[in-house]
Amino acid sequence: MPSLKDLRNRISSVKSTKKITSAMKMVAAAKLKRAQDNAEKTRPYARKMSEIVNSLVENNKSKEFKFSEKKKKTTRNILLIVCSADRGLCGGFNGSIIKFSKKLSEKIINDGGKVSYIFVGKKAYQSLQRFCGESILDFFSDIANPSIKFELASSIRDKILELFLNNSMDECHLVYTEFKSAISQTVQSLKLLPLNALETNNNNSSNKSYDFEPSEEEILNEIIPKNIAIQIHTALLENLASEQGSRMTAMDNATRNANDMIDNLTLFYNRSRQALITKELIEIISGAEAV
Amino acid sequence: MKQFKLEIISPNEVVFEKEIDLVILPGREGDFGILKDHMPFLTSLRVGIAYIYLEKKIIETFLVTGGIVEVSQNRCSLLTEEAINTNSVSSTNKTEESSNKDEINLKRLKERALEKLYYS
Repeated sequence: MPSLKDLRNRISSVKSTKKITSAMKMVAAAKLKRAQDNAEKTRPYARKMSEIVNSLVENNKSKEFKFSEKKKKTTRNILLIVCSADRGLCGGFNGSIIKFSKKLSEKIINDGGKVSYIFVGKKAYQSLQRFCGESILDFFSDIANPSIKFELASSIRDKILELFLNNSMDECHLVYTEFKSAISQTVQSLKLLPLNALETNNNNSSNKSYDFEPSEEEILNEIIPKNIAIQIHTALLENLASEQGSRMTAMDNATRNANDMIDNLTLFYNRSRQALITKELIEIISGAEAV
Repeated sequence: MKQFKLEIISPNEVVFEKEIDLVILPGREGDFGILKDHMPFLTSLRVGIAYIYLEKKIIETFLVTGGIVEVSQNRCSLLTEEAINTNSVSSTNKTEESSNKDEINLKRLKERALEKLYYS
């Protein structure tokens, strides 16, 4: 049984942990607001852009163009862009990203493909470093300081387009966390390249035949790199918002747990103090009776 | 007059969304106007000014830094990296000095946009 002093120490240490977690929760909540605003503002642009690209690609099913699938190769080189956080203490956020990308790359390897990686954010990089070995092409960190810049997305875009066009990469997927609300986020992968028509949505957009100016090909060549950059950018923004949301809930839980723990420990402390007093009283009384 | 919907969207916000009569846009190969029941159309823009008409009057003008226009089913979407409402600029330039400043600002913006276009 711990002594009263041990209990007191324990209680005070839990109290200071609680102070830290509740402060972190407050900071995360403030950052979440901003990150969420940013993410939501960019959404309409990205959605419209991908709508246009999808309908364009759908109309182009038969033709082969610059960014479409290459059919000749047997082994596929696949690039994963893994977006994670720079810091921990945000619940299962980084863990689920790491698990997801590991599963995805194992699946690709089992299918006979080769995987290479670009990491954005320290956490996934650190824990997947050993797993990936030589195949890490690039690594970015500290992206959200002070805010996520569009230049980062364009530089990643330039890199993957270069790889794609000189045939050292056949497919590119983006792994990120979609922000649904402060308490619900899901890890997702998004196929950036090559572009093929989505089989599923055969809605009215398929019978649209556009008039192009200057020409269909030029428009495609202009719009596709733009679309890739904006998709990466939104993914990074969503990821940041998810990180803050996840951190906020994790820290909220931690604060609540610390409260419970303090309650239990205080109860236990008072009980043992009372027991000690009672024991002393009994000793005194029985001593007096003996005399 | 028959009206259709125009939306101007930039990565930071939805700049404009309204039923309008006519919009005149700076296309890569020359300016063009869009009215109701335009055929499906897709083109890219150069840096320039978009004039928006409602009831035979210009209601808004925007400086756009390139971008892409999609017209389909009486809906015109303009995706641009930056769209600046020129009304908000010109309404302030009462004095010559400030109008000069605004002009310089506009010029700079245009240069920046051109640079962007050049490098992209």
